[in-house]
Amino acid sequence: MALSRDELKAAILKKAETAPKPQLYIKDFYACDPDTKPREIKNVANDLVKEGKLMFWSSGSTTMYAMKSRIKNEEGDSGVN
Amino acid sequence: MAKHETPLLDELEKGPWPSFVTDIKRQAEKNPACWDILGQVELSYKEKITHWKHGGIVGVFGYGGGIVGRYSDLPKRFPGVEHFHTVRLNQPASKYYSTEHLRAICDKWEKYGSGMTNMHGSTGDLVLLGCRTESLEPLFYELTHELQQDLGGSGSNLRTPANCLGQSRCEWACYDTEEACHQLTMHYQDEIHRPAFPYKFKFKFSGCPNDCVAAIARSDVAVIGTWRDNIRIDQAAVKEYVAGKIPSNGGAHASRDWGKFDIQKEVIALCPTGCMWMEGGDLKIDDAECTRCMHCLNVMPRALRPGVEQGATICVGAKAPILDGAQFATMIVPFMKVSADNEFEELIEFIEKIWDWWMEVGKNRERVGETMQRIGLPTFIKVMDLEPIPQHIKEPRSNPYVFWQEEEVEGGWDRDVEEFRARHAA
Repeated sequence: MALSRDELKAAILKKAETAPKPQLYIKDFYACDPDTKPREIKNVANDLVKEGKLMFWSSGSTTMYAMKSRIKNEEGDSGVN
Repeated sequence: MAKHETPLLDELEKGPWPSFVTDIKRQAEKNPACWDILGQVELSYKEKITHWKHGGIVGVFGYGGGIVGRYSDLPKRFPGVEHFHTVRLNQPASKYYSTEHLRAICDKWEKYGSGMTNMHGSTGDLVLLGCRTESLEPLFYELTHELQQDLGGSGSNLRTPANCLGQSRCEWACYDTEEACHQLTMHYQDEIHRPAFPYKFKFKFSGCPNDCVAAIARSDVAVIGTWRDNIRIDQAAVKEYVAGKIPSNGGAHASRDWGKFDIQKEVIALCPTGCMWMEGGDLKIDDAECTRCMHCLNVMPRALRPGVEQGATICVGAKAPILDGAQFATMIVPFMKVSADNEFEELIEFIEKIWDWWMEVGKNRERVGETMQRIGLPTFIKVMDLEPIPQHIKEPRSNPYVFWQEEEVEGGWDRDVEEFRARHAA
């Protein structure tokens, strides 16, 4: 059975806090609840950004999610956008 | 007065073409920070290595796209480009701006940014180059609140949809590309402004197979206008072309005398499927063989027009990366009605079916065309609930094996072979 919205938010935050790398692809959150559709997981992750609990990290071509406390600003890569 | 010596860049001003170096020098007279662009680019040319860093956490509140972070890795040497973020603005359908709107954007951009623009990016956005982090929010506020000008897409978002001039200017447009582009842009605001996918995703809308926005080469979903009845022929106009009374190609290429128009040589012999011929002074077309190359219509626009039963062909999976691996789209739906009457319902349903599948099985940084290639067209067609049709096949098969599904085999995979062999000796 799929997690409730609040449970899913908690699972996503836990993943963002404990994953080895601070930046995570949206797909990395799918495992938080295999019973929830990817588009719904995306919506919940984006809600967490609106709430200020997660933030977007963009290379220009790809966007990832991160906890602000785990990342420093003005990082970049040489990705193609 | 130049801040940096730029002998290598100066070479680029010597040719016959307009040079970005000249443009930046001109802008640097107004905004001295622009000298540091020239200094850094000159150094990159010399060292053959980039000094830009892409990405980071820059953006505007609530948006996960539209701003591309860019920094210099030599900020002390080139302080003017310490922060040099790109801002993408969503262009209006067909890029119909008023000069008043463009001037207002330029004024905002000179106030908050470098003043340099790129008209337009390959996705169609109006691109503003060079903004410091602290100027992003005030710029965004004024753009949205005073000019009603939104940002475009970047990152793993739906990228800003783009379209050709469509029915606003072009008699060949087989559907209203502007309406389609505008309505889908509005429908998918969340996907444009917030990341949703494993990687970027683009739609482009071309009104006819001339494909003026290169949808077939550059977009994950290409909506290309077509017709499914016969090309309309005005035989009287054909005769006028043959008699040289109407200039071919709408009068293009008229700067040189190419000799008398020769319909056999310039149209019929160039038809890729050889489906045209003259008969008693009339032009005949075997429309079932027409591949919509558009050559005959382009050469004789007053004699030939698209058919009346119009819609679009939907192709999926193109990409045009800068480094390698360019791929054309694959034809998936030969004909779909594309109409505002039902709010593009059929197209939206098609797109969302792709998204549901791609979001689940696509790898990180994998375009949908790459996922299709990795998993196979038969699976993709099945996922899309489509029946395979001859048009899905690129070339006659070279693999002699037939791959049956278990449900297509009597008794499935577990049938009793001994019993079968009793009836059919090996």
